Amino acid sequence: MVASSCFTLAAINLLVWIRNRTAWANLLFSLTAVSLAVFTFFELAMMRAGTPTEFGVVMRWAHIPLLAWLFSLTWFVRIYFGAGRLWLAWSVCILRTLSLVPNFLTGANLNYMRVTGVHRLPFLGELVSTPQGIPNPWMIIGQVSILLLIAFVADASVTVSRRGDRRKVFLGATIEFFLVLGLGQTMLLFWLNIQSPIIFSLPSLGMLAVMGYELSLDVLRASQLVRQLQASEAQLRESTSRMTLAAEATNFGIWVRYLDRNEIWANEVWRSLFGFSISERLNIDYVLQRVHPEDREVVRQTWAKAIDGEGKYESEYRVVRPDGQMRWLASRGSVEFDDCVPAVSRGVTFDITDRKKVELETDRLRQEIAHVDRVSMMGQLASALAHEINQPLGAILRNAEAAEIFLRDPSPDLVEIRAILADIRKDDQRAGHVIDHMRRMLKRNKLDAQALEVTELVSDVVAMVRADAVARQSKLEIDVPECLPRVCGDRVQLQQVLLNLILNGMDSLNGANRDKRLVRLSARLDEARTIEITVSDTGQGIPAEKLDQIFDPFFTTKTNGMGMGLPISRTIIEAHRGRLWAENRSGGGAVFRFTLPVADGRVSL
Amino acid sequence: MTAAKPTVHIVDDDASFLAAISRLLRASGFEVRTFSSAAEFLEQREDGAPGCVVADLQMPGMSGFDLQSALAQTSNPLPILFLTGHGDVPSTVRAMRGGAEDFLEKSVQKEKVVDAVRRCLERDGNERRSRTQVHELRARFDALSTRELEVLSHVVQGKLNKQIADDLSIHERTVKLHRTAITTKLGVSSVAELTRVTLQAGIFPPVK
Repeated sequence: MVASSCFTLAAINLLVWIRNRTAWANLLFSLTAVSLAVFTFFELAMMRAGTPTEFGVVMRWAHIPLLAWLFSLTWFVRIYFGAGRLWLAWSVCILRTLSLVPNFLTGANLNYMRVTGVHRLPFLGELVSTPQGIPNPWMIIGQVSILLLIAFVADASVTVSRRGDRRKVFLGATIEFFLVLGLGQTMLLFWLNIQSPIIFSLPSLGMLAVMGYELSLDVLRASQLVRQLQASEAQLRESTSRMTLAAEATNFGIWVRYLDRNEIWANEVWRSLFGFSISERLNIDYVLQRVHPEDREVVRQTWAKAIDGEGKYESEYRVVRPDGQMRWLASRGSVEFDDCVPAVSRGVTFDITDRKKVELETDRLRQEIAHVDRVSMMGQLASALAHEINQPLGAILRNAEAAEIFLRDPSPDLVEIRAILADIRKDDQRAGHVIDHMRRMLKRNKLDAQALEVTELVSDVVAMVRADAVARQSKLEIDVPECLPRVCGDRVQLQQVLLNLILNGMDSLNGANRDKRLVRLSARLDEARTIEITVSDTGQGIPAEKLDQIFDPFFTTKTNGMGMGLPISRTIIEAHRGRLWAENRSGGGAVFRFTLPVADGRVSL
Repeated sequence: MTAAKPTVHIVDDDASFLAAISRLLRASGFEVRTFSSAAEFLEQREDGAPGCVVADLQMPGMSGFDLQSALAQTSNPLPILFLTGHGDVPSTVRAMRGGAEDFLEKSVQKEKVVDAVRRCLERDGNERRSRTQVHELRARFDALSTRELEVLSHVVQGKLNKQIADDLSIHERTVKLHRTAITTKLGVSSVAELTRVTLQAGIFPPVK
């Protein structure tokens, strides 16, 4: 009867474990029940044993299921309570295992050195055998192990009671009660030789019943939880569909990235933003492939930073769809951490192409205005200078012409001619003063010298002329290494020089073959304290005899040119303690080079 | 009328250019006078003297354009030639509309300047001659009596003596006497010539 009820309980809990492989408590309970059931068979055999020898042997083997029972009970408590000192649990197990040694090697078994006789006593209407013999002193090991078990369960129960789990405390108390009961009975039986059948299984069964009851309550609770879970799942489905509706209505793409599996779930809108089909499997590298090559690294870093601990990310980037269409997208999202390990990243993505277009257009206009400002500033300066300088030049010309006419006279008026020459000299000086004045003006506008990054200087100017380059169908190639030391100079003036050289370069491309229209800007560290910046073009180049002339004021090859750009540029560069000169490229086209001193921590010239 | 040599009046605030251009023009055979401002020129010019004006456009105070319009209001407006340091289309148009002979940049070829000055003087000569003629004719017309002028106005309208006599309520013979006096005083020999000089002198308002 005891065995069959044990088996039933064991079977139920085994089933629970089979269904849910993490329900270790159920498995251990099941093992407890099975070992107890097996033990009852040994108990029965002992009750039926006719001779002392037989009794001793059966008793010896009965220690095996007892050991199993003790083991499974110990670990059941440990797992089910989630409490109890580990070393106590291990001591119980080790000591009990050690007790098998004297069980098999000394006396009749662990309990008796020798079973001297078997009495048959009436028990529950039947005659059962009770042993009589000399107790085995090694028995103490086994009993100590039971005591340790009692201590272990008590410890575990105290811990659970602190947590306030009253049901487990009750279970613990029950186990304690039956353990003490069993221990007490065996002590009396074996040490004092009290005549009684061995019915250890009865209190154990009581314990088992309570344990089984507790576990079944858990199973019941689990099924309740399942029902609740189903209900909340239904709610979740409802809210998911609401969210989907909202997301679709606002055209928000939603994506969830499972970091552990490198998998991405995304809604339809998100997929269409990136140009993925509904069924395509996604992972992060595959998604990054759709991001514009120039933005890819930034996006990758943004995500990496969020995962590394920032938790949130926000970025704007371009994607190129398989059909070649480019869209601007904005993404916002967060990373969820599971025990400090990033687990899931969720985010929304939306199309900002239209907004971005407006922004870029505004940027372009702003740059154009900056460009016009620079160019017209230079133009105004040049125009004012032209007026200033045309007066003395006109006078020189008229005086020279007059002198020519006077000299045709057979007896020329030398006094007059001398006066003319004096005036010519005076006007020449005057013209020189105008140029000097301009130089002084540029110098007096005291260079606002700063340490400047060459890359920054160049990229500012490139931003200004990019629109021009496109309009003139010429290519602008930039080759400026990142690692250059900073130069010392006035940002605006150096930008003017670069602007002037680049625009000159583009002007020289007029008439050149379209695929050869190239202006190249490069920079390098020349000597230890000099940076050389080069602007070269693929135009016609400069006739060798004019290489120096081009830096003279008013020398120009352009129909609308003032001939002031290069002289002003040279003045600026010389004010920076650098040099500006021109060369012809061996492959055709002109090269303008200028040098600038390296900043070296100094910011004055 | 004085037989004085036509004079090129140069007006420029830039003393250096003023000296240079005056030398060139003098060397090219012109009579030259220089003025450092438009006001100085208007004040010191000999009224009635032949010649032309060569002026800078941009001058402090009275500009070249101001000079042009001031000159136009005198009885003896001299033709004007503009020289400028830096010319542009709107100024050119304005100068030419105002009757300037030419509009040149200061550094333009010598020949162009000399030619333009020559044309200016020629134009002045022509205008001066026609002004003198009109002047002389007017003097002859001054000799006519009021009645004679009345008769003349009818004659140039092509009316017959009889009609004129009727209109003026005088005898036909008296009309004939007046006509003889008119032709004698004006020194003309035919009605056609009489009509021409009358129109040339601009005595009567155009016939309605």
